[in-house]
Amino acid sequence: MSELQIGGLILTVTLVVLFSGLPIAWGLTAVAVGFLLLFKGPAALANVPILMMDELASFALLTIPLFVLLGAAIGSSAAGKDIYESLHRWLDRVPGGLVIANILACGMFSAICGSSPATAAAIGKAGVPEMMKRGVSPAMATGSICAGGTLGILIPPSITMILYGLVTETSIGRLFLAGVVPGVLLVVLFSAYAWFSTLRAQRAAPPVETHRYTFKERIEGLGRVSPFLGIVIAIGYAMYGGLATPSEVAALSAVLALVLVMVIYRQWRLADQWRIFRETVRESTMILMIIGAAAVFSYMLSLLYVTQSAAQWMVDLDLNRWVLMLAINVFLLVAGCFLPPVAIILMVMPILTPVLEAANFDLIWFAVILTINMEVGLITPPVGLNLYVLKGVAPDVSLPTVLKGSLPFVLLMFLAMVLIAIFPEIALWLPGKMMN
Amino acid sequence: MLPAFVRAVYRLSTACAVVAALMLLIAALVITWSIFYRAMGASTYWEIEFSVFMMVGSLFLASPYCLATRGHVGVDLLSHYLPKRFARPVGIVVAVVGLAVCVYLAWAGAEMTLHAFARDETTESAWAAPKWPLYLAMPVGLGLTALQYVAELLRDTLALAGEK
Repeated sequence: MSELQIGGLILTVTLVVLFSGLPIAWGLTAVAVGFLLLFKGPAALANVPILMMDELASFALLTIPLFVLLGAAIGSSAAGKDIYESLHRWLDRVPGGLVIANILACGMFSAICGSSPATAAAIGKAGVPEMMKRGVSPAMATGSICAGGTLGILIPPSITMILYGLVTETSIGRLFLAGVVPGVLLVVLFSAYAWFSTLRAQRAAPPVETHRYTFKERIEGLGRVSPFLGIVIAIGYAMYGGLATPSEVAALSAVLALVLVMVIYRQWRLADQWRIFRETVRESTMILMIIGAAAVFSYMLSLLYVTQSAAQWMVDLDLNRWVLMLAINVFLLVAGCFLPPVAIILMVMPILTPVLEAANFDLIWFAVILTINMEVGLITPPVGLNLYVLKGVAPDVSLPTVLKGSLPFVLLMFLAMVLIAIFPEIALWLPGKMMN
Repeated sequence: MLPAFVRAVYRLSTACAVVAALMLLIAALVITWSIFYRAMGASTYWEIEFSVFMMVGSLFLASPYCLATRGHVGVDLLSHYLPKRFARPVGIVVAVVGLAVCVYLAWAGAEMTLHAFARDETTESAWAAPKWPLYLAMPVGLGLTALQYVAELLRDTLALAGEK
């Protein structure tokens, strides 16, 4: 069998194993160990535990559980509700203001949370029922949160960007910065759509008079979100002022967030803390186990020479570089419908990195394209993680309604990808400015 | 008798998750402390490695609880498209494979730990900490994950037998 045929066999077996419902971490380990045994014999297994341990025992990886802790601490508090309420006080006169407030709140929450489902849950918990109570259509209410939540992995900190940086050996600080402007771009596009679509709906059926907030109420609202903004600024300052490494920033902000929810939101009881930590260790263990297993998986691919052959094969196709980029994105889009971003980055990037470099694509720029692509996968069935979150937040809204509401936002994500492809500066300007 | 065993394993898994949570908190506090300590001009040498040890311990110890609470993400397309009556048998087969992987990794991890212990392996830093406590997290955490699988398998096969 040639390396490419072996690669095809591995791909088929991996997909069958992963779709069986076996946890991804065990699935990757089983496939890796199986193929090592089959093609290299038992001796090749000697390195398996040490490979896993070496991959996991890394200071850079500490960013993941610590940023998860930060997100869980803030997410468990009423901060999400406070953020969107204070935003709404400023946007009450704008058509679709309630929806825009939710989208902006998702964007702001993303600045302390590196996970998309966590962002959708934190803002959606309070936002979806409130929007539906005030007459926003169920499709728009759920669709906007579903899409807004995906910003969690684009706007820094971002779990997927951290992983991408570790796999491709690019600077995590630079990757974080590259996500900022595209994140803002998506927030603007999403909000513009919400505004436009509400305006059109209101022309058909004028809205009932809603509550107007006074200036004093608006200022009061701002006060409640200031500690939260303080953490965001502290993260940015420590990270880009060169004071601390990403892991140190993650630790500091997680500790700050824990203190904040204890002092401001009075969650000092053990039960409250356990709720935060329970979510944190569950989520981190799931991600880190997949990382450990993926290390064994990519060792297997590389030992069987599949990584190298697959990359060489793609380079030899000698496609026009934009045809190549389109093909990669279609592949990622399909993969994203079935697998979570973490698994895709770990499995695919070792093969794609040399191909992208050969075709002269900037790896930082590609991280942004990849992330938006993965965001689409988070809101499409059958395995869209954000859809599950919405099912928990708004059990009465049917899945087709959520999908119908999300579709326009997905189209806007495609638009953003095209814009970033045409104007790479959208992603690369800020890291270039701040880190050169 | 059996439900008592299943409950006891669940309690053990939860207790491990509490320890895992504490270890993560300690890692966060140590790193935070080291930032200020370093800012005062002192040099730090054990903090980074110590917090990595804590994280690795935390992640393996939290694994059984993660399994018990369906936290290990899987993609169950198969049972989604199969007829309903196959769902439980497929689930049992999948759990047996999961159990096998955990047993294998626990066993391989135990070998690695014993090896490091026998040869007094230490980390290559100024702190030169012994490596075996770090490695020990793997066989303990995944061994307990295997135990959690056994408990769930017993529960599910009994339920399946009860239905027939």
